[in-house]
Amino acid sequence: MASRDIHGIDPPWGDFRHVGRALRKVDGLAKATGAAVYTDDISLPGMLHAKLLRSPHAHARILAIDTTRVRQLSGVHGVITGEDLPVKFGILPWTQDETALAVGKVRHVGEPVAAVAAVDEDTANAALKLIRVEYELLHVYIDPFESLSRHDPPIHEQHRSGNISKHVHLSFGDVDMALSHADAVVEGDYFFHGTTHAAIEPHCAVAQYAADGVLTLWSSTQITHYVHRALAHVLGLSAHRIRVIQPCLGGAFGGKSDPFSFEFVTAKLAMLTGRPIKLLYTREEVFYTHRGRHPMHMHYKTGATRDGRLTGVDATILVDGGAYSSYGLVTTYYAGQLLTGPYDFPTYRFDSTRVFTNKPTCGPKRGHGSVQPRFAFEVQLDELAEVLRMDPIEIRRRNLLGADTTTVNGQRITSNGIAKCLDFVEQASGWTTRRGRLGYGRGLGVAASMYISGTNYPIYPNPMPQAAVQLKIDRSGLVTVFSGANDIGQGSNSIAQYLVAEELGLALDQVRVASADTDLCPVDLGAYSSRETFMVGNALIDACRKIRPQLVQAVAERWQVDTARVRFVEGVVIDLEDVSRSMSAAEAFQLAEEKFDTLGATGAYNTPTLGGDYRGGTIGAAPAYSFTAHAVEVSVDVETGRITCHDVWIAHDCGRALNPMLVAGQMEGSAYMGVAEALMEDHDVHASGLHKGPSLLDYRIPTSVDTPALHALIVESLDPEGPYGAKEAGEGPLHPSIPAISNAVFDAVGIRLRHLPFTPGRVLAALRARQHSAPSGEPELAGGPR
Amino acid sequence: MLRLPRFELRQPTSVAEAARMLADLGPDALVLAGGTDLLPNMKHELFTPAVVVSLGRIDALRGIRAEADGSLRIGAMTTIADVAHSPIVAERAPCLAQAAGLIAGPQLRRAGTIGGNVLLDTRCQYYNQSYFWRSALGYCLKKDGTVCHVVAGASRCVAAAAADTAPALMTLCATLEFERAAGQRAVAIDDFWVADGISNRRILPGEILVSIRIPPTPPGHRGAYGKLRERGSIDFPLLGVAARLDIDAGGLVERADLVLTALAARPRRVSEASTRLCGTQPGTPGFDMAVQAVAESARRHCHTLSNLLGDTAWRQDMIPVYVKRTLQAAAAGGGPVHHL
Amino acid sequence: MHLTVNGDVHHVDAPDHWTLLEVLRYRLGLTGSKQGCDKGDCGACTVLVDGQPMISCLMLAREAENRAITTIEGLMPHHIAAGGTGADPVQDAFDQCGALQCGFCQSGTILSAHALLSGTPNPSDAEIRDALAGNLCRCTGYTQILQAVQLASARARGVSPPPRSWETPPAPAGSPAPSPTETA
Repeated sequence: MASRDIHGIDPPWGDFRHVGRALRKVDGLAKATGAAVYTDDISLPGMLHAKLLRSPHAHARILAIDTTRVRQLSGVHGVITGEDLPVKFGILPWTQDETALAVGKVRHVGEPVAAVAAVDEDTANAALKLIRVEYELLHVYIDPFESLSRHDPPIHEQHRSGNISKHVHLSFGDVDMALSHADAVVEGDYFFHGTTHAAIEPHCAVAQYAADGVLTLWSSTQITHYVHRALAHVLGLSAHRIRVIQPCLGGAFGGKSDPFSFEFVTAKLAMLTGRPIKLLYTREEVFYTHRGRHPMHMHYKTGATRDGRLTGVDATILVDGGAYSSYGLVTTYYAGQLLTGPYDFPTYRFDSTRVFTNKPTCGPKRGHGSVQPRFAFEVQLDELAEVLRMDPIEIRRRNLLGADTTTVNGQRITSNGIAKCLDFVEQASGWTTRRGRLGYGRGLGVAASMYISGTNYPIYPNPMPQAAVQLKIDRSGLVTVFSGANDIGQGSNSIAQYLVAEELGLALDQVRVASADTDLCPVDLGAYSSRETFMVGNALIDACRKIRPQLVQAVAERWQVDTARVRFVEGVVIDLEDVSRSMSAAEAFQLAEEKFDTLGATGAYNTPTLGGDYRGGTIGAAPAYSFTAHAVEVSVDVETGRITCHDVWIAHDCGRALNPMLVAGQMEGSAYMGVAEALMEDHDVHASGLHKGPSLLDYRIPTSVDTPALHALIVESLDPEGPYGAKEAGEGPLHPSIPAISNAVFDAVGIRLRHLPFTPGRVLAALRARQHSAPSGEPELAGGPR
Repeated sequence: MLRLPRFELRQPTSVAEAARMLADLGPDALVLAGGTDLLPNMKHELFTPAVVVSLGRIDALRGIRAEADGSLRIGAMTTIADVAHSPIVAERAPCLAQAAGLIAGPQLRRAGTIGGNVLLDTRCQYYNQSYFWRSALGYCLKKDGTVCHVVAGASRCVAAAAADTAPALMTLCATLEFERAAGQRAVAIDDFWVADGISNRRILPGEILVSIRIPPTPPGHRGAYGKLRERGSIDFPLLGVAARLDIDAGGLVERADLVLTALAARPRRVSEASTRLCGTQPGTPGFDMAVQAVAESARRHCHTLSNLLGDTAWRQDMIPVYVKRTLQAAAAGGGPVHHL
Repeated sequence: MHLTVNGDVHHVDAPDHWTLLEVLRYRLGLTGSKQGCDKGDCGACTVLVDGQPMISCLMLAREAENRAITTIEGLMPHHIAAGGTGADPVQDAFDQCGALQCGFCQSGTILSAHALLSGTPNPSDAEIRDALAGNLCRCTGYTQILQAVQLASARARGVSPPPRSWETPPAPAGSPAPSPTETA
């Protein structure tokens, strides 16, 4: 399996014609002219509008639901409750604890309880108000520490471990010995708060159940394939009678990678009414759906030699999961498994516990399960540097993993550009001459990270390919790529165009992409874990290399030359040894069709067997890892406590930048999101479980005037298994921004921020505490102020 | 999509016509100016009038006029953007120009009006939410309920005054000019407020705010506005500070005023400003010490509440900081005071 | 009611409580203007009203009568009618700079940028940021949006746009430290 999937880093013939250029996207102009069709832009004849009735209580038993008055309202065509969709689902096969509508009880404020379909939204809203639900209130779990010890009442009755969602304890080497013998040990508590995706497009689905019993669902999803399977499972329909299509999508970041209530509800109502159904979330509903970043209470202890070499890391993490499992099993592993690069430490232990609470469910948000531990560790590494009186970049340099090695927890590292990433941010920020020298109130900070580029395992265990494409070669000279990949704005469709045009030697406008339609496209697992470019890219090259010999051979035979002389160059076929001879790619296609009959090819990719040989060893294993370093420059207003981030220098090893402009866009967008989480975003609930501010006015994401200057610096390590050497760029570049800000604040004003978000109030409190602490007891600050 | 509740729209073309409509319709009708406050509140089902009377077609309500006596008269339907960009407002009423320029974001400033801003509904994190959210909370004293979630056991609502122009206009001693079917009324803006978050203004049924008159300001007039908020755009104030200093020919402060907002239901004057600052000279230690004293007085006498989402204790700590910075900015002929 | 949208007069039948955004999207089928936050917090619904960017989800459709409304769909036809080819130059610049990741905020952002450039042909970075301060973008971090506006402005003036950070790698170690306030 593995050898099939390594295509090499070199251009297919001669030099790269498209790869490496700042090309336009396939859908750019459609988006820029308002022509791109997003799910809410779809309107079907006779379409009804559905709305969800949501629970006002965080934890309660449902005693009765009375919908009789709804059915009497003119314009209402359907009303359903949990009884109509009782089959449990969940993204992970081992933790299917959700139902489309609540059955028996509700577990968070905003959980869907009933649904109506009506001629318009006004009528649907009026109908919701006529539904009477009787609840019996139960104890509300808000503090995750309570869920650790209290299990009565259990949030999930059938869950074996009470309110503990998942527990992982893994140990590599003798950490206690390593720490007891270390020259320097730093220990501390760190807290990462809840944040959410806040994609500008709210969730939306349109369902149509045709007279012949085929269900079509258009949905703003990152995971058409998993939704396809979930619909079959919950609705009791054969999967081959279901079609799932992902239209153009307005941002996701992990918030659209579960199967959701609204998808099952629209489908069910379409089946019950015989009419198309649309359900569009309000912005508030997006907050209740959440699946955002898990708050984590973390305790880290790290030891090092006096030369700054790490000897061991010991982590204890409490993960606040919210009401349901979602990807939580994976999160619990990731919280420990993803920390073992970019540094080499010989011993490591982590104890990670995820608990249920009566709050909107947490799930994957960009940098799933990894951003929080990375924050804690990168701040602690800086604290270690302070104790050892070492420059923060230097201590990192002394501990870097190299290329082609294995981490302490058995992950295979191949390409590794972290050293250059650190060099780049050091140079770009003027680190060596400026850190510690910008005057009180202004500072520089650094942090580094590593992230998976795809994962070793599919969500449901199976030996089939994880990514696949199909090519259609047309006499007109057009190649159509059928790609299962979900383009959520990151540009996976554009990558498909670039790679196919590159491999087949075509002009860009000779390649078009049809994607994320389960009727038309082969299975791709979805846009999560930064897998699309890596896996679909390899599948594309695979498919092209199956078809290319046929094209080349047909031309060679016509010209009666050796195949090595035939070259396709941006849509023109030439004879390398005779410039007078050429033909168009379209003609070549026709020759090949004549010779081989109708042309086509499939391509696929699967990861090699990876991961440590222990339970959970595959979780965190990836076919390649990206590497990132950030330097940030901040100033702190010591009167107000406000942190202003001026510049973020982002150096990211993406293997090879297939399109440096798209890579830079991902780097900038990721860094922006990290800065936002550090300084401004806060997803939180009142003691009742009610979200404190479920709007884009109250949940603050930075505007154009709030965002620092973002400098993307691309590093290429040419991964041996990535498509032409490419690795991910969509999640890695978020991680270091948050700890780098904390580290910069230390350089600026000598306080350590270990608790997120870095609000002005916290900064002022830390400044006051520092003023009052005895100066003689403090370690001498490395490069810090007085 | 959050939908507006159903209503009938009327679009009168004169103030008299609008006033007659309001008189006929009584409490079934609400006035629509720029819509940037009323429409979100209606989407939240905080207001569900059967009829909405829009002032959008009454051109007479727009415009900034310099009157013969040196005063400024601003039509109530003048957009925030026009107030912010007006050279004459910048020259004669800098605090107002600065406050207007900091409201919301660029698009909303083109729709929002100065009249709408002065008459802005009070705001609270337990009030400015959807119907569903408020029902989950159990409603509140201001709307549909009996309990205040900010001050336990409170019998009076403490929703926050949220308009940026109001404190600025108070330092300018503005007069609000109303018209209704039964006649006209002018009220000094200082006298307009009521310490009640449910309705913090003394407005009569059927009254339309027609214009705002700002008396002449002397040659040495200076003003500045300070706005505390988390982001540099869009957000309502977490604290607003309007400062006025009139400097006489000898360089001494002959008149000083300081008004804070985003505390409780009405903008709050800090009287210490007048007593301490008059007679001091900006740029001297005497002035700086007086500013310090005013800041300290504001901190002692003004109190933030948890009516707004955010760190209440931090907002309280920012009172003396923003008072000091805004007074110094006014003294220097600068401002606004804003973190960006 | 009669609404003038992108130069065409439409007779629209909608209740008084429908907003301009709802009429555009669900009555006229002009789905380019987007619905992001329901109540004016995000700017995705921005349209031009008499050339000025406004929030269409907080405008009653009836209040938009007698105004000239331009949606994102109107830019290209207007450009072609004026003798151009393809997309409007501002739209094209956004495409060329990679500013369209998910694209959902861009109908609003492009219109705000378009209006800015109409009045301020050579805006500074600060002016661009200020003009776009009512358009939330979650994908780009605003960097490529700024670059797009700079590109459109530079093209119109016949000059080169500023370089982008990833176009040249940082100087090797030992070179003079760069200015810390370089913009991307």
